[in-house]
Amino acid sequence: MAFMTPQHNRKDESVRRANRVIQRRTLILMLIMGVAMFVVLFFKLFSLQIVRHEELQSLAVSQQTRSTVVTASRGTIYDASGNILAISSTAETVFLSPLELDAQLKDTEKPAKWTKTQLAETLAEILDISEESIYKKMERTYSEYEVLAFRVEEDIADKVREFINEYSVHGIYLATDAKRYYPYSDLAPHVIGFVGTDYTGLYGIEAEYETRLQGESGLVVTAKDAAENDMLFEYSQYFAPEHGENLELTLDATVQYYLQKGIEEMCDAFSPANGAAGVVLNVNSGAILGMASYPNYDLNDFSVVTDQTLLEQIEREEITESQAQLTQWRNKCLNDTYEPGSTFKILTLASALEEDVVDATTTVFCAGHTEVSGETIHCSQKEGHGQQTLMQSVGNSCNPAFITYGLRLGTDTFYDYLDSFGLHGTSGVDLGGEAQGVFAQKDAFTQLDLACYAFGQNFTVTPLNLIAAQAACVNGGYLYEPYLVEESRDSDGNVLYRHDATPIRQVISEETSAEVRECLEYVVSGGTGKNGQVAGYRIGGKTGTADKGQTGDVVVSFVCFAPADDPEIMMLITMDTPSRATNVYVSGGNMVAPYSSAIMAEILPYLGFEPSYSAEELLGIDTTVPSVVGMGLEEAKSKLTERGFGCRVVGDGDTVTDQTPVGGVLIPGKSTVIIYMGAEKPTDLCTVPNLVGMTPSEANAVMANSGLFLRFTGTTGRESSTVRVFSQETEHGTQLEAGSVVTVRLGDTAVRD
Amino acid sequence: MTREEHHARKAQEQHKKDMARKHYLAGKGSMDIPFLLLALLLTGIGLMMLFSASFPSAYYETGSAGYYFKRQAVFAAAGIVAMLVVGRFNYQRWRGAAKILMVLAIFLLLLVIIPGVGITKNNATRWLGVDGVLTFQPSEIAKLAVIVYFADSISKKKERMRDLREGVLPYGVWLAVIAVLMLLEPHLSGTILIVGTGAIMMAVGGMPAWLIGAGIGGVAAAAWGFVALVDAGIISYGASRINMWHDPWLDSSDDGYQMVQSLIAIGSGGLLGTGLGKGRQKFLYLPEESNDFIFSTVCEELGLIGASLILLVFALMLLRGFWIALHARDRFGTLLVVGVMSHLGLQVFLNVAVVTGLVPATGISLPFFSYGGTALLLQLVEIGLVLSVSRQIPAKREG
Repeated sequence: MAFMTPQHNRKDESVRRANRVIQRRTLILMLIMGVAMFVVLFFKLFSLQIVRHEELQSLAVSQQTRSTVVTASRGTIYDASGNILAISSTAETVFLSPLELDAQLKDTEKPAKWTKTQLAETLAEILDISEESIYKKMERTYSEYEVLAFRVEEDIADKVREFINEYSVHGIYLATDAKRYYPYSDLAPHVIGFVGTDYTGLYGIEAEYETRLQGESGLVVTAKDAAENDMLFEYSQYFAPEHGENLELTLDATVQYYLQKGIEEMCDAFSPANGAAGVVLNVNSGAILGMASYPNYDLNDFSVVTDQTLLEQIEREEITESQAQLTQWRNKCLNDTYEPGSTFKILTLASALEEDVVDATTTVFCAGHTEVSGETIHCSQKEGHGQQTLMQSVGNSCNPAFITYGLRLGTDTFYDYLDSFGLHGTSGVDLGGEAQGVFAQKDAFTQLDLACYAFGQNFTVTPLNLIAAQAACVNGGYLYEPYLVEESRDSDGNVLYRHDATPIRQVISEETSAEVRECLEYVVSGGTGKNGQVAGYRIGGKTGTADKGQTGDVVVSFVCFAPADDPEIMMLITMDTPSRATNVYVSGGNMVAPYSSAIMAEILPYLGFEPSYSAEELLGIDTTVPSVVGMGLEEAKSKLTERGFGCRVVGDGDTVTDQTPVGGVLIPGKSTVIIYMGAEKPTDLCTVPNLVGMTPSEANAVMANSGLFLRFTGTTGRESSTVRVFSQETEHGTQLEAGSVVTVRLGDTAVRD
Repeated sequence: MTREEHHARKAQEQHKKDMARKHYLAGKGSMDIPFLLLALLLTGIGLMMLFSASFPSAYYETGSAGYYFKRQAVFAAAGIVAMLVVGRFNYQRWRGAAKILMVLAIFLLLLVIIPGVGITKNNATRWLGVDGVLTFQPSEIAKLAVIVYFADSISKKKERMRDLREGVLPYGVWLAVIAVLMLLEPHLSGTILIVGTGAIMMAVGGMPAWLIGAGIGGVAAAAWGFVALVDAGIISYGASRINMWHDPWLDSSDDGYQMVQSLIAIGSGGLLGTGLGKGRQKFLYLPEESNDFIFSTVCEELGLIGASLILLVFALMLLRGFWIALHARDRFGTLLVVGVMSHLGLQVFLNVAVVTGLVPATGISLPFFSYGGTALLLQLVEIGLVLSVSRQIPAKREG
């Protein structure tokens, strides 16, 4: 056949060869395109989707989501009795998006149900802002965020919401955030501190416990598209905020109130140039029950300066307003140091007793001055105290005596005691900004330094650091770290932190401490601290009047504790540079002790310390007047004398027709009650006389003549010839109903620190 | 007429009849079912992913989330009909149309670059027709024309393909003409695909092996040289593409934006993906999310597993396609299928390589997935060609 010709064969062979080439190359291509290519692509995908997944995922999340912060509610601060000192409540910020408002107005498909005028009018009324300001903000149509009002109350926010819903306004929004309230306003502002506009603590506990109080903000994460709108489908995740912890302070609002009240009265009386400070401490734990600094301020308006002295200084342009703010925010209990003066003698005494360089039988002579390393140092009493026992030297606050005790201790031992009492460091209190005292270097500590240190001069400490050391002297010798936060609880009430009141160390022995207590009780009962007496309580204390270098200015102070035999509460009050124009001898005993006494008289019963009165004191105790109207003369007289009242009869009827004061009134014991036997009771008002400066008996007589009753407070050892009326609660010249009671404060005018 | 002659004629007629019947029967053979199913599967998945990827843009741009999907679905339906019709058609008949197609393609390519005739989008004049109603790219016709014409011509040349003057030069000239016309549009990615497909067909068709080696080496050297020169700062044309390919984060807000968004989409998909329809990058972040970068959305939503499965379907389809090529009845059939499958394979590879940052960005769409009605229609017509070839695969000899 034609097929079988060689030519055909050759042609056939060539076709087969061409076919074979195509087949072979197609097969290779098949492997390249069907297998190799996809292996390459798979590995590339694997590297992107598995190896680099997290990196790219986070990029995706960060661009696709919008996070809205949900503010955590800040923890509440409670006092020791559960009173709220600082609390957060939600408030809402109202803002508008001019861009969206504009878009809604321009939308012709769905016309807006509101007009610009309507919106401005309504919002201006609800938020109490001007319409113009709203217009101005609406003009900024490039903006999406214009705040109308910061932190408005809930009811106002509700009104705004109502308006938004009623008129379907797109472009007015409310953002929840929180506002801090201080219910007691000006109570313990230096302790509590305040938060700034960014809601973080700036001062005090608010700053110190920021991390516990602030909690952790929550988040709402929503998906958004590249045009910043929410994605078509719902995608949101809510991370609940972790609320801040609640703090329970050792501070007691009542104690704090009386402390502040006393200090304020003291400052009103003596106008100190540099304020005052006071600390009330539990000597057996270091818990701070009260801590006050003066000038004071209102936490709810912390930038406003209210203190008269500061305002005058601003007026005279001596300081700027911001300087005045900084001054009022200072907590003088621990931000500033001072030369303690004689209250420091407690530590010298304790050290000397502990080292056995003195004992109860020690006697020391004071000639009014002494010489150390060629320098003459004077005693506060120029004529000298003469020969004194140890206890008398403390009661007299005799400088030469204490120089002697100090020198007996020697520089090294004395210096070591400063260390043991924790004065070289800070007290460790849980508040920021604690200042550190200034002391001579140990290797440069001379005999002369020692002599001055022994009575509390030439070095500085903070009041807080000093009272912690003084507490150690009377509580059995244990040095505690003063503290303010008892415990911290989460919002469910679980305790997350509790203060550990373990003493840092024992500085002196129990026996030494007892001896110190005895001496200090004598200071109040018979020494320079007489004005610190509190009726019904055994008080120990020490006065202090310290020179501020060579300026002639002084810091007066008084430290006291009760009960003197088994101390629980200690209080130190200092006043920096009191006015010399008050006719009161400038000393801690005359200026500070009377107010300390008043404060202690309030806080001791409040804290549950039962007064125990001596027989003499008991006579002076207030008694309720019995009603004797309608009785016969004899019956009425016996009823009154039964209760210890005296009796004056006016008129000559058979029965008692009236009495002054009327029954049920509480008046001092031993007072005289007037009974009217038919005679008309005079309705004239009585004028309060000026009693200041009188002896108690003079005052009593004057008052009886005025038809008024007298109640004494303060120094109760009234027999001393130097006791005078220190102040009176009701101003002289005031008109009072007959039989009213006027309280006067007694003070011993003779004490010298 | 002698009896022998009569017998011989009769036998000859009988032989002709037998052959005709054989041809007829061959033409009556059934289409390759696996290949058909793979094609339909990809069309289905492609449509589904197009809907997922396009609904945000469709919603933002037209207000109807299904806008792009519906249009694409219409073309898919038309394409499947066209595929089956072409599949029933005896592919041998295309031989006659090869030259006409080629001339038509050249004519259309000339027409489109005449100012005022073509439709211009994004600085490229690639479309003919009525904008917004029905448009198509002449380059799609050119692609088909090259495949059919090259298959016809090469299959006839057999061993003469080894001859430079006969086997290389004419095809080279055709490709050069088309390439020049398309680069004038400009349409770089289409040019790459057509030239690549044509070159593969020449190589498979019998081009001398040394020339294939030289060609591959030459292209590789040119590409490497180009990148090197750009890196050295000597060439500035295409520099931003090359730089963004090296590190799209250099300028993630501008030149590298698209690449960065694509990588973020792919990477954030992880192993399992965000779930079908739940991708987020398509919400105006990823540009061209329903066209060239649709595979990024696939990766984001279906994860490595889903994306790999889709690539596997593509791979299976290519393998089955080449299997059909290997078993085709004649060289023309083989080359026709090789052309179609090379085109498909190149396009898939280049598309995925671009969106994953494997090669510098060019606008290559993903077959069966990317939005584009006429492109999908013509892809299905090409698949119809392969099916047509598959119907004539001779049955295995008995015994």
